[in-house]
Amino acid sequence: MRAKPLGGVLSRAADLLEEMDFCGVDEGLVYHVAMQAESPQAGNRLVLEETRGQPRLHATWAILPPQTGELGTVEGFLAGMREHDVRALWAHPEEHRYLLNAITFGSLLEEVAARRIPLFVGPQWEMVTALLADFPDLTLVVAGHGNWGDDRFFRPLVERYPRLHLDTSNYQLAGGLADFVGRYGPARLLYASGAPDLQMGAALLTLAGCDMPSEAKEAIADGNLRRLLAEERL
Amino acid sequence: MRNDSPIAREFMETGLCGRCPVIDMHGHYGPFRGIYLPKPWADGMLETMDRSGVCCIVCSSHSSLADPERGNREMAQVVRDHPGRFYAYRTVNPNYPEQLKDEVARFPEDAGFVGFKFHPSGHSYPITGDNYVPALEYADERRLLLLSHTWGFSEHDGPSLLGQVADTYPNVTFLMGHSGYGEWEAALAVAQERANVYLELTAASRVSGIITRMVGEVGSEKIVFGTDLPWFDPHFGIGSVCFSRISDEDRHNILHRNAERLLAPFRARQEG
Repeated sequence: MRAKPLGGVLSRAADLLEEMDFCGVDEGLVYHVAMQAESPQAGNRLVLEETRGQPRLHATWAILPPQTGELGTVEGFLAGMREHDVRALWAHPEEHRYLLNAITFGSLLEEVAARRIPLFVGPQWEMVTALLADFPDLTLVVAGHGNWGDDRFFRPLVERYPRLHLDTSNYQLAGGLADFVGRYGPARLLYASGAPDLQMGAALLTLAGCDMPSEAKEAIADGNLRRLLAEERL
Repeated sequence: MRNDSPIAREFMETGLCGRCPVIDMHGHYGPFRGIYLPKPWADGMLETMDRSGVCCIVCSSHSSLADPERGNREMAQVVRDHPGRFYAYRTVNPNYPEQLKDEVARFPEDAGFVGFKFHPSGHSYPITGDNYVPALEYADERRLLLLSHTWGFSEHDGPSLLGQVADTYPNVTFLMGHSGYGEWEAALAVAQERANVYLELTAASRVSGIITRMVGEVGSEKIVFGTDLPWFDPHFGIGSVCFSRISDEDRHNILHRNAERLLAPFRARQEG
């Protein structure tokens, strides 16, 4: 269960931008809490409303199985992403009760993989392993891993799947960032805050203070995500 | 960044802060079953501490949670090898009451031990249970510290249970490990209402807004810093403190002043 934020949900773009300014975060891929907690239909619309006219906030959308048609056709969904400059996707298979696999998502995820659209998922490692077996070229970002240090789960996958990436929002492991970069380089890691669940400055100082070259820190802080988004072919 | 805290700026620029050292009141030692730890031993922990400005840490070894006699002996050696950098809690296991009494009896043998470590959830035994009494009575007579794991809504170590024990042993200083994670209202009330209960930040610090709320409701004088090192990177917790909406005086209290005050009698004893 995710911790309930106490500092006030950053439900408005202005609140989020104020917190980003306080911590020194320039830009971000953002989701609306309703995308997960309420429904992608509501949340995908709300995130566009909140980010409209905010060039520092880049909207993401949540997916649902194409078979139910709740988010339209695959073609229409992708066209909508293009129209609204939606740069990445989220899947919440537990909360939204579906199986994130080729049987359910073949038609959508084949397109997502081919177009190199980043797909964010939580650290459900058996699901992630099966998903990557189905879609080895998928640009997958596992977000929020780390309370108990998940390296034993993800390192074998990192070695096998070159498009697998990890966010650092909850990668609290002492010496973990430097240890990972020493073995695999910085290209697979993306700075993330985990806000509003997590304190925005925590992952920031962890990256700033870790034992690795400044070029590696800069790659994790923004270069890697900019590269991924530049590779996208919406 | 708009955070105008000189402490936060120095940590962000250099990884540590000369004017604000850090004392970690919740550490462990050695490898642990469910997690890959890159630096589980003393040398690696000291490297991590040096990078983040942690001047000293108070630990219970992971081994001591399973086998207190062996684990406490291991921890005593680390404290002897690194005086002033490592201090220790003596872990007791209430499921073996005779061994627990032996561990209590051994307490004076090792310099650098500042009190006891309880892990009621890990040992599936309530903190209010009778088997803990010898350790609590000993700690009460000698005004020791007691770090207990606490977790929200736990039948073994929920914050209100710790509050009951703290009322019975007023001379013990209780550090509420993880601040009763998730049952915040009760945890903050227990600390706010009792002079001998402190909130401890391991894992709790990451929760957005919790430190600001703790300072507002309980006061920064009742909060100590911790990391579970070699688990969690000190920078993660320090970052949470630095970017909470609190004053630098609060940051000093949380990151070192309160711990300095709590450890002072034991440091004097060790040096004397």
